[in-house]
Order: sequence, then C-alpha cells, then structure tokens
Amino acid sequence: MDDSTILETRDLNLWYGPKQALLNISIRVPKNTVTALIGPSGCGKSTLLRCFNRMNDLIDSARITGQILFEGDDIYADRTDVYTIREKIGMVFQKPNPFPKSIYENVAYGPRIHGERHKEMLDDIVETSLRRAALWDEVKDRLHEPALALSGGQQQRLCIARSLAVEPRVILMDEPCSALDPIATAKIEDLIIRLARDYTVIIVTHNMQQAARASEYTGFMYMGRLVEFDRTQQIFEDPAEELTENYITGRFG
Amino acid sequence: MKKEEAAAVQSGYPGWSGHFRREPEVPFARRGRHLTDLIVGKLLFIVALLAILIVFFIIGFLLRDGYQIVLEIGLWNFLAGMDWNPAGPTPSFGILPLIVGTLLVTALAMAIAVPLSMATAIYIAEIAGPRTKEVIKPAVELLAGIPSVVYGFFGLILLTEWIRILFDRPSGSSWLAGSILLAIMAIPTITSVAEDALSSVPREFREGSLALGATRWQTIRRVVVPGALSGITAAVILGMGRAIGETMAVLMVTGNAAIIPEPITNVFSPVRTLTGTLGIEMGEVAFGSMHYHALFGVAVVLLVITLAVNGLARFIIHRIQMTPARSRASGAFMQSVHNLIPVSLPRQAKRRVIHPRTTQRFAFLLISLGVVIVLAALGVILLEIIVNGAGAISLEFLTAPPSNLGREGGIFPAIVGTLYLVAGALAVALPIGIATAIYLIEYTADTRLTRGIRAAVDLLNGTPSIVFGLFGFAFLVLFLNFGVSLIAGQITLGLMILPTIIRTTEESLRSIPKSLREGSYALGASKWQTIWRVVLPPALPGIITGAILSIGRAAGETAPIMFTAVVFSSRYLPSSLSEPVMALPYHLFILTTSVPGADNQKFGTALVLLMMVLSIYLVAILVRRRYNRATVM
Repeated sequence: MDDSTILETRDLNLWYGPKQALLNISIRVPKNTVTALIGPSGCGKSTLLRCFNRMNDLIDSARITGQILFEGDDIYADRTDVYTIREKIGMVFQKPNPFPKSIYENVAYGPRIHGERHKEMLDDIVETSLRRAALWDEVKDRLHEPALALSGGQQQRLCIARSLAVEPRVILMDEPCSALDPIATAKIEDLIIRLARDYTVIIVTHNMQQAARASEYTGFMYMGRLVEFDRTQQIFEDPAEELTENYITGRFG
Repeated sequence: MKKEEAAAVQSGYPGWSGHFRREPEVPFARRGRHLTDLIVGKLLFIVALLAILIVFFIIGFLLRDGYQIVLEIGLWNFLAGMDWNPAGPTPSFGILPLIVGTLLVTALAMAIAVPLSMATAIYIAEIAGPRTKEVIKPAVELLAGIPSVVYGFFGLILLTEWIRILFDRPSGSSWLAGSILLAIMAIPTITSVAEDALSSVPREFREGSLALGATRWQTIRRVVVPGALSGITAAVILGMGRAIGETMAVLMVTGNAAIIPEPITNVFSPVRTLTGTLGIEMGEVAFGSMHYHALFGVAVVLLVITLAVNGLARFIIHRIQMTPARSRASGAFMQSVHNLIPVSLPRQAKRRVIHPRTTQRFAFLLISLGVVIVLAALGVILLEIIVNGAGAISLEFLTAPPSNLGREGGIFPAIVGTLYLVAGALAVALPIGIATAIYLIEYTADTRLTRGIRAAVDLLNGTPSIVFGLFGFAFLVLFLNFGVSLIAGQITLGLMILPTIIRTTEESLRSIPKSLREGSYALGASKWQTIWRVVLPPALPGIITGAILSIGRAAGETAPIMFTAVVFSSRYLPSSLSEPVMALPYHLFILTTSVPGADNQKFGTALVLLMMVLSIYLVAILVRRRYNRATVM
C-alpha cells in the first residue's frame, strides 16, 4: 500500500485547550480513492479532516503532536508553507460557502490569488472546473450572476469547482451534503465518485448509506480514536471490532 | 475536455495544459505571501497601537495641564469651592456650582427624556405596524442628526422666548430651557438603544403571555419591559452621557451664571455647566495662567464624570451580551406568568374595578401622546428653521462672502471651510480607523492588548467634543504652534470621529461569516489575500455608512473647532492648511449670540447647515437600508 498512500498520519494527537480531541491516530489514505470517515457526533472526524490541510491552525487553542505526511513530507514541519498545503489539499465545507461574488469570480478566485492573470487562461480554468464539478451546463449562460442566487446544491457544486480550480490532489469534504435535499445529495455523491478517478477524496459523513455508496475505504472513529480502518465493504459487511458493528447496525450513535 | 481528463488520469493527478504556476522546487517552499502577511500584520499592529497612544496622550495632556490647579489651591477648594470667579480682582476657582449645574440640567433632562423615549421605543418595537415604523424610526434618527448648534439656535431664538412669555419671567435663559433641549437631544440615543433591547426579547415570551389571555399592554408591562430592563438601563445611561457632554446647545440657553439655583428646585434660575464654562472661557484665557489650568481641571472633572457614566453603561451592556437573551428573559417571564394567572380566573377578574382592556387603552393613549410630542418637537424645529430660513436663501447667500459682520452678503467661505474641515478629518480618521478595526477583528483573538485597544476606543467615544476642542487648542494650536488653522481643526475633528469609524468598521467586519474566510483559506489564500479580496468587499457598504455618519457629525460640530480652526469672518478662502477658515456651525453660533440684527442670515445659515447635515445622514440611512436588503446570506 506504501506507493499509493497519499496522506498518512503517525500517532496524531490533538488538544483543544485542555481537552484532547484526537488520540494516537495513525491512518494511511490511499491515492485516487474515496475515503469516508464515519462516527457519532463529537468523535473527532471533522477535527481529523481539518488537520490534513491545517485548517486547525486558525483555532488558537488547538495543539498537536505526531506527524502528518503528504506524499512523504511532513505538513507540520517548520519549512512547510501552510498556504501551499491548502492549495494541494482543498476543502469543501458542511454549509456551502460561496463568496458574495459572481459564479465566475468564485471559481477564478483561487487561480487569481496564486498569480494567474491572463483572461483566457482564467476562462479556461473556470470552464474546466465547472465541467468537472458537473455544473457547467446549468450555469454557462449566467457566469456573471451572483453565486448566492444558485440553489443550495448548485452552490455546493460551485464550491467543489472552486476548489478544483487550484488543482488540488486531495479534496477534503466535511459533511458536504448535510445541508442539501436528497436530489442534490445524489448529484454530489455521483460527482464524488467521478472525482476519485483524478483526485483523492476524503469525506466526513453522518450518513452511513452515503459512506457505503460513495467510498472505497472507511474509517470508523469513536471518542477521538480511529477504531477501525478498512475497505468499505469489509467495514459494512464484516467489521473486525464490535464497536464498529454496533454503530453500523444502529445500536448507538 | 475528454482528452484532458484522459491525460490527467495518465499523469496520475490532474492538470491542464499551460500550468498557471511553477511547481516549487522544494515541496512546500515559502513564497512572498508570508512576507506580505508579516509586513501588513505589523503595520496594522502599529496603527492600532497608535490609536491607544492617542487616547493616553490626550488624557495625559489634560492631566498635565489640569493638575496645576490642584497644586495651587488644593483639591477640596477646587471641587467644593462655592465661587467660580476666575477673572475677578481676587480670582477664585471653586467649581461646585458648575458641577451642580451640570447635574441639575442633566437630571431634569433625563426626567423629560426617559418617559418620552420609552414611549417611543415601546411604540416602535411593540405597537406600530411595519409601515408606521418605517416613518417613525428614521424621524427619530433625524433628531440625532441635527447639529447641536442648531438646537442651541432654536433654543435661544424660540424656546427661551416661549419660556419667558409663558411663565412671565424677565429671561427665559434657564435650567429649564437647557434641560428641554438636552432632553430632545438625548431622546434618539435612548430610544434606539431601548428599542433594540425590547426587540431582542424572544417572540415566544410574548406569545406565551398572550396565550394566557393577557392583553398586549399586560404583556409589554410584565414580560417585554422586564426582559429588556438591563438594555433599557444602559440606554438611559448612554443618553445621560450624551447630555453631560453636550456643550453648544446648553451654553446658548442656560444663562451661564455660575450659581446654584435658589431654592434648588428653581428651574427658571440660570445655571452654568462644566462644558459651558469651557466653551465660553477657553477662547480668551491666557496661556499658562491659573485660569488656564483651572479650565483643564474642569475638563478632567468632566472627563471623569462621562467616563464613569459611559463605563457603567458599557458594563451593563457587556453583562447583557454575556448572558443569552433566553435566560435573561426567562426569570421575568416566569414571574410574569405567575402574575398573570389570576387574570384567567373569573372570580378574580370580577373583583377588578378597571377592566384590563381599559387600562390598555389608557396606556396606549399615553404612549401615543409621547410619540406625538417627540415628533412634534422634530416638526417644530424643522418647520421653524425651514419656513424662516427659506427666505434668506439666494444665489448670493450661497456664493458670496459675508459683509458687515455677517449681516449682509453670504456664507460661501463657511460652506467651503466646513467641507475642507470634514475632508481633512476623514483623511486623518479613515486610514487609522479602518486599519485599527481590521487589526482588532482579523489579527487578534481576545487578548489583553485588544481589550486595551477596545477600552481606549470606547473611552475616546464617550469623550465630550469640547474636550477634544480643548486638547486640540492646547496641544496643536499652542504646544505644536500650529496656530488657529485648518490643519488643527482637521486633526481635532479626525480624532473625534475616529472611534465611530473604528466601531462601525469592526461591526461590518464582524458581520462577515467565518465560513467565507475558511473558504478562502482552504484554497491556499494568505491572510492578507483573504482580508483584501473576500472580507473587505462585502464589508464595504457598512464601512461607508460609518464614514458617512462621521461626515455628518464632523460637519455639524462646533466645540472641537471653535478654538482650533475657525474665524468668524473671512472674505477669502484659505490658501494653505495653516490658515484659519470659516465654518457653518461656528458662523451660526456667532451670528446667534453676538451679532444683533442678522435674523435673516441666522435662519439662512441654520437652514443650510441643517440641510447639509441631514442630507448626509439620509444618504447613510439609504445606503444602510439598501445594504441590509441586498445581503440575504
């Protein structure tokens, strides 16, 4: 599995002030797959996700030990540039958060801040990103209208397009469908599966059907620990841990 | 597209032809962005620090000059001395009459303003339909926009006359006149803060009470008002702070005799306030004399009083923000439920002499009466000035310089001077204010430093405008030897509006959701890129509104510029920053108090000033309203 591992944590611990939120997490995320993180509320799955692109840096009280390796390089090392990490490891949030700009400007934002100024190149990136996020056909005639006028599901796909536009290798998704209706959810799930051809997707979800449908690997977390990590089929059909089984069969959580 | 995807799959990870940036040689090499972040952060920090230093400097400067008088005559003789006679053959510097004057004027003003403001706030929050609300709220805000010198003008020309005739007194310049004017000026502050407090009482509590069969009035009296009590208290204290710090209006109508009324309830007695004393005497005092130091002592006392009052209000508001609205109101709610239970029991109800519905009708009548009085005050002031001033307005009046001590000619240099002053004040305050606010909101968590900066800003916000005038006079005009000049006035006004700009900018930055910042960071944007491209654009309308409100305030203020920047009559426009200018508020002040026989010109000047300031406020209100509708996020 070594060659195809893109993200790896080694004995990762995280505290919010005095409270420990992650305990000794060691996980290897395979390249170009969809990996789901499941578990009850407060189990640390979102916290773990936010470690991968150092979004926890924004929380003053967060403290971390252990290592996170992205393609073999420690992302918390001193010489590491946090902004470059976030370029390579994008993130899509629970609630769609398009900027109050036009659809076009939302997608072009990332390339622009990374120095792309040529109009033609930007046009190209915007179109390609929107196509990859399966949104192009719906918005191609109104690229310059406000993004906030889109529906919730469209906004979320726009946010995905926005993160694709900076060419990430990994896309982190934090319960990306929890604010959406079933039809919009189905579209996003389709999209996630297709994205896994080119990208590595890590998705946090509350919805076990979603994990079963969309992911190849699943990690089950409970009270800050990674209880089990395996192929999704294995986790759902024959989990090694009783805790996992109890959760999956709905006995708690 | 198809081809591209295929290529992407082959290469292992996606990418389009013509890669828009170089792959760094070291995996995660630092780039220039970190340097930008560092420099911008440091710059903002320095500016924010500057804001604190300014405050401490102002206070230190006042203390330095005011401490002398305490050394000379002793603290007790200064504070409790019964005689204020700084210019007599044996000068005496007892400020007790001034302190008493300030307290009396403020107390009576509050006695008038609080019931009227409460009635208006309750009417707006609980009774008025949406359309009435749309009319009354801006009307009350307009009251806040009228410059204090215009209030003073109205008071001196009309109010004191009415009091003289109505009560058959030799003069109407009195404690009563001062209090009535201050009441009108404090009403908008009290009303708007109290209305916010009332509106924030959760809907469920009203419904809970109404569902028990309570009338609307019972619900207001026993559920809504108790639930909003601490907010209402803060509103009253804030109004009080505004009243204590007011200079021009009070100075023009209170008669300014430094005596304690005899008997103490004689509202027709003239009084003199701390602010009035500064306004009258600062202009003609000899630099460095005992009198000069005594006036600084007065300023320090004034500052201490307003600080205490505003500090108390801040403390109460802070406590409200600490406790969530729900838990705040629930105590009052449970108690009121308890009180209401008898209402639903028929046996008890029969015993009542007056039916609750009758009480309600009576209460609503009183409330409406209060609202009518407030609106009438606004109407009378506007109408008097518009009707009498319209005749004076002509092309010549607007475009010619004054002649014959302002009795003839126009006010063109005053209009231009006011514009110069305001533009300069903005140039001083906008960069410092916005930078400080960005630093406070974006760069720091709640540390001791930010709390220090915020406290300093609040302090500056509560400082009476005459104190800024005094500081500007002593430091800029005399100490730095700027002389009475445009630049001295601009800096003084700039310092005065600085807290407003910081506050409004902070508020609009705070209203930008955190998720937008995260969205930007998640794309690899640097801190400064995020602030500049994502946070600032949607915050701009709020910042602009704050700036416009500050323009209105700066354009109408007299006290900060009367010793620092203005001359009464000038045929020419200033040709450099070191020359003095004419300004509308000061022109009106002098015409009203010192030039007999310029009636037409007074009203004309008052009208021009009023229209200028009110239209600025109107623009601010419109911008805010449009902005509020536009952001449905």
